[in-house]
Amino acid sequence: MKVLEMKHLTRKFGDFIAVDNVTLAIDEGEIFGFLGTNGAGKSTTINMIAGLLHHTKGEIRILGKDVTKNKKFAKSHIGMVPQDIAIYEDLTAYENIQFFAGLYGLRGQKLKEQVEEALKFVGLSDKAKSFPKTFSGGMKRRLNIACAIAHRPKLIIMDEPTVGIDPQSRNYILSSVRKLNEMGCTIIYTSHYMEEVEEICSRIAIIDHGKIIAEGTKEQLKAIITNTKDIWIGINSTDTLDLSQLKLINGVKEVKVEEDVIKINSSADVNNLNTIIQYFIAAGIEIRTVEEQAPNLDTVFLTLTGRNLRD
Amino acid sequence: MNIINLALKEMKRDFRDLRTLIFLLAFPIVLMLILGTALSSDFNTTTEVVDIPVLYKDSANQSVSQAFQTFTEGLSDSGVHFKKATETMDGKKAVKENKYGAYIEVTNSQIKMYESNKNSIEGSVIEGMLSAFVDKYNMISTVAKVSPNALSKVTPNSGEANFIKETGLHSLKKPGAMDYYAITMTTMIALFGAMSASYLIRGERIIGTATRLVVAPISKAEIFIGKIFGGVLTSVLCTLIVVLFSKYVFKANWGEHLGIVFFVLITEIVLAISFGLGMSYMTKTSGASQAIIMVVIQLAAFFGGAYFQVEDGGGLMNNVMQLSPLHWANHAITQVIYSDNMTPAIHAAFLNLGISVVFLLIAIISMGRREGL
Ligand SMILES: Nc1ncnc2c1ncn2[C@@H]1O[C@H](COP(=O)(O)OP(=O)(O)OP(=O)(O)O)[C@@H](O)[C@H]1O
Ligand SMILES: [Mg+2]
Repeated sequence: MKVLEMKHLTRKFGDFIAVDNVTLAIDEGEIFGFLGTNGAGKSTTINMIAGLLHHTKGEIRILGKDVTKNKKFAKSHIGMVPQDIAIYEDLTAYENIQFFAGLYGLRGQKLKEQVEEALKFVGLSDKAKSFPKTFSGGMKRRLNIACAIAHRPKLIIMDEPTVGIDPQSRNYILSSVRKLNEMGCTIIYTSHYMEEVEEICSRIAIIDHGKIIAEGTKEQLKAIITNTKDIWIGINSTDTLDLSQLKLINGVKEVKVEEDVIKINSSADVNNLNTIIQYFIAAGIEIRTVEEQAPNLDTVFLTLTGRNLRD
Repeated sequence: MNIINLALKEMKRDFRDLRTLIFLLAFPIVLMLILGTALSSDFNTTTEVVDIPVLYKDSANQSVSQAFQTFTEGLSDSGVHFKKATETMDGKKAVKENKYGAYIEVTNSQIKMYESNKNSIEGSVIEGMLSAFVDKYNMISTVAKVSPNALSKVTPNSGEANFIKETGLHSLKKPGAMDYYAITMTTMIALFGAMSASYLIRGERIIGTATRLVVAPISKAEIFIGKIFGGVLTSVLCTLIVVLFSKYVFKANWGEHLGIVFFVLITEIVLAISFGLGMSYMTKTSGASQAIIMVVIQLAAFFGGAYFQVEDGGGLMNNVMQLSPLHWANHAITQVIYSDNMTPAIHAAFLNLGISVVFLLIAIISMGRREGL
């Protein structure tokens, strides 16, 4: 079943188009990653899904129902982790979760159980009675997540949930995202950290200037740019190296020297590794290592957008 | 249910906030104590000083006339001196010129009283006495205020409103310093609710929790009502504590009709909360709304007689005073306590609620136009 469908979704702020004709569908059980540089339109898209912003054009469906006509239904099945921490500093961790879960209609014993479960889930059970002003940044981020999941939503939207926290809290959050997913939640995850998205997401969309410019599994995305490959050759001394000769080899596009590693970018469909190695042997240069680099999402992102994810 | 949830959350946070406790509880109590004891010499509470000349014209039949005569004689000890007007005298004019505290016309079925605008306490005393008489003889009494600076015409307080006095004689009470400041500090603090109200929804935006409220499956109306409800309840509870504290610890006189007094106070709190909320939607920054609210409260306090008694001397001062919500609240409550007169209370309540509606509409319309809160 499709948990979320967006069709031709567009949002303008005045004349500025922040989200431009986005069409996407997310299946139940996915962890869907949104990648994009600052201002790409990730939060705007997410905020339209969660009902924080109206859409200028297009359509959003949650569990098959149009959100504009079924606001309450849509909202009650979504859990939103806002990009900025949104908790009351003068309510305890427990009271924060209790209040927000209460807005979703939970009462009495059930409310109590699910609040405790959410606290346990983010590892804050022993801090239930503490006020967030005594929390570290990572603990506040975890409470920020707990407030969004206690009502057991089908779709959890996380807008950069790991911004500015220590590696320990980050690992904790990543593993809880996986756990939530195993429990049946569908998750939308935006991040500036490529490795996070690569690690946990089953499918990824790259968004740039409000448009989806690529979408698919990690492998599918990498396949987009497999028309080139990187060959890295480690040598002992670069003294006798003649770069111009290397560049003449069939398929080689670019050669860079970084300390004692020669980085060769070449067409993927030309089998020229033998010729390259023979050149080094003939020139009397001793080869220490040879590596063929698999394309990673960073190169995918760079190739597609012309920019690094984090500048 | 969500509304109650929101209101309870609001109150919980308010009562954990040291500023709320200082502003709405400690501040008024301390001020009452300081002003009520330091300025007590400025207030005269003894009844002997009351020396009020009253002019009357008697065109009633014999039985009423006789009864009135007995009534006036009975009062001569209390300091109210009745003088019968001659045929040619203009009683209203005499009151205007401050020669008499009041002018009374007695006919068979009605007593008409014209009182000087200047000293409401004298007027209240006479009104209170008359009411006893009127009650006994089942007559209709009319009270009109004669403004000393509008010499040519009689200016009744609110048309020539007829009302039947229902209560007995409570006359010769005047507020002492503590009684006075218990009232004015309480009404002033009720107005301070506007301060926290200006953060009621803006505060949620500032700390980001507005996002969570909007993504939850509740309507903006529920959020709006719940938050206002919470804000009003916090303020009402603080006011109740302050009133009871001043009543039982400071022995301030809150009169026999605490329910009516509270009704006036609650409408004033609603006014304060609506004003604060409306202001927060009419200004760009929280600093701006706070500054405006502070200035308004201080002016209202000054002209409403919060810190010292303002003489109702007529002229510009009089007109400015009428604009202070604290003036009409203080006046209403004083009338309830000292004259058993409920009319100003009803006027004040309607005025408070009417203005509240305007500010609430401003807030609702602005909120409706926004994405989010
Ligand atoms: N309320 C608004 N009014 C005007 N422009 C806006 C508004 N909100 C967002 N924008 C613009 O829309 C674009 C997309 O913003 P958005 O917050 O969706 O980016 P993002 O991908 O979430 O970026 P980041 O990684 O920095 O969070 C930006 O250029 C931003 O300036
Ligand atoms: Mg964002």
